[in-house]
Amino acid sequence: MENKIEQLTEYIQKDCLWQFFSRAWDREENIEGVLNGTEALLTGPVEEATSDMDRCHMADAKVLSRAFTSSFGWIRDMNKEELHALFQGVKQRMREIVITSSHNEELHVKNY
Amino acid sequence: MPMVLLECDKDIPEREQHVYIKAEGENTTMFLPASNVATIPGTLSERGCSFCGAKLVIGAVIKDTIQLIHGPIGCAYDTWHTKRYISDNDNFQLKYAWSSGMKESHVIFGGEKQLEKSINEAFDAMPESKRMFLYTTCTTALIGDDTRAVARRVMDQRPDVDIFIIECPGFAGVSQSKGHHVLNISWMNDKVGTLEPEITSPYTINFIGDYNIQGDTFLLQEYWDRLGIQVIAHFTGNATYDELRCMHRAQLNVVNCARSAGYIANELKKRYGIPRLDMDAWGFRYMADGLRKIGAFFGIEDKVEQLIEEEYAKYKPQLDWYRERLTGKKMAIWTGGPRLWHWTRAVEEDLGVEVVAMSSKFGHQEDFEKAIARGRVGTVYIDDANEKEFFEVIDMVRPDVIFTGPRVGELVKKMHIPYINGHAYHNGPYMGFLGFVNLARDMYNAVKSPMWKLAAQDIREV
Repeated sequence: MENKIEQLTEYIQKDCLWQFFSRAWDREENIEGVLNGTEALLTGPVEEATSDMDRCHMADAKVLSRAFTSSFGWIRDMNKEELHALFQGVKQRMREIVITSSHNEELHVKNY
Repeated sequence: MPMVLLECDKDIPEREQHVYIKAEGENTTMFLPASNVATIPGTLSERGCSFCGAKLVIGAVIKDTIQLIHGPIGCAYDTWHTKRYISDNDNFQLKYAWSSGMKESHVIFGGEKQLEKSINEAFDAMPESKRMFLYTTCTTALIGDDTRAVARRVMDQRPDVDIFIIECPGFAGVSQSKGHHVLNISWMNDKVGTLEPEITSPYTINFIGDYNIQGDTFLLQEYWDRLGIQVIAHFTGNATYDELRCMHRAQLNVVNCARSAGYIANELKKRYGIPRLDMDAWGFRYMADGLRKIGAFFGIEDKVEQLIEEEYAKYKPQLDWYRERLTGKKMAIWTGGPRLWHWTRAVEEDLGVEVVAMSSKFGHQEDFEKAIARGRVGTVYIDDANEKEFFEVIDMVRPDVIFTGPRVGELVKKMHIPYINGHAYHNGPYMGFLGFVNLARDMYNAVKSPMWKLAAQDIREV
């Protein structure tokens, strides 16, 4: 599982701009929103987005879930519980890299 | 590998915190260059001033607005006519620049009367123009001229004009980045929400951080038209002053240059709840994915897929022709900040080109997080590089082509290394599908030109 978490994390690091938004709270919001959406798209059913923010996260999630299934064939063989554990792990790694262990000194500046 | 002290920097050891070479297994939690900090005395920076960041990069792009610089003439001249952001109204914004022409006597006795006279002269000379950006500069900020009071007085006398004040003298920050910041936040505070747009489509966006360099905005506008998306405001390519006042009515903010304009997208999200969607507008796969996200947001995925299919059919064979001939070439990107992370994987994926060195003039640590995450192992990453560092890095990585600005470009041309204008392009636009073919063509022409070998020959010995 750890290896799989690292593979997805590496893909996100190289590809996704949403992880690098300006402040820690934006990054946290995007990690939760986009990765929960991606997990939902892979496991189903997907609830209809109720807000513009949700729709925006789902837009990123759709592109990401498509990339995951085409780049990592093993993801299709995972059941719902395994996928949930996988995405919990990816979220934790993303938080670590772009928030808690980040050297970016602007992450906690109060204003934009 | 940790941060690197280049040989040329041995007398300014602080530079070690600004130079990084990525090693296998490293990520940005281990090393991240210091950036957006004051230039170290002793290093000859390539940076611009904060006023320049506000005026040259963002404000002066707006196509229907008088750009009045309250200061000595040089501040106006040096930020005029140097960047190719065109417009569809005969390039009004490129033709003209206005200055209050401060002299010594104004510094001693105050420049407000001179400013008021200049504002009125500008509006009288350009009766069709009713909008103005008014900038303070180092001189007028230091003497404390109250530009807001003067502008209010003029607007009281001329109710049909609107003036926007940018209080961002050159010394306000460590680089042009501060000017981007000040202009974004000031516009948000003073002007967004002061006008209502006519809504003509169920799908509305602001496209933020694109300055219509050689027609980037025009090219992207074709896509939006084909998709039936209304752009409330381009921030600020080919934009009008009044369009930008309406930004609060878009459903989605699509952000390309997050460094120069991420601030306004963040504020629009905070104050109006408009979500921010970042994308890369350079590169085939990036552009396609960006369009797919916008399509997913509005539920128009089919239209988007059709557009992508048509564009791929038209331009992918041309891109592939260049890819065959450019694969394995080594490239350096020495620009402002965002193009490092926009381009490094785009040229690698689309053209097989390896980016071996990246340097940012005004990027923040956020930009280095992106550039290092996307960049290659062994690549040199530098913040606020100086000339000697450029020479040393060229010796280290031996690039085949360097994308940079005209100043550094002249330097590398003398070393017989092809240079392409990474700010204003050689023969753009470079955004979108056609744009990336243009970039590939310019790179091919640069790398394959026989001129570089010929230029190295001493004609006395031929």
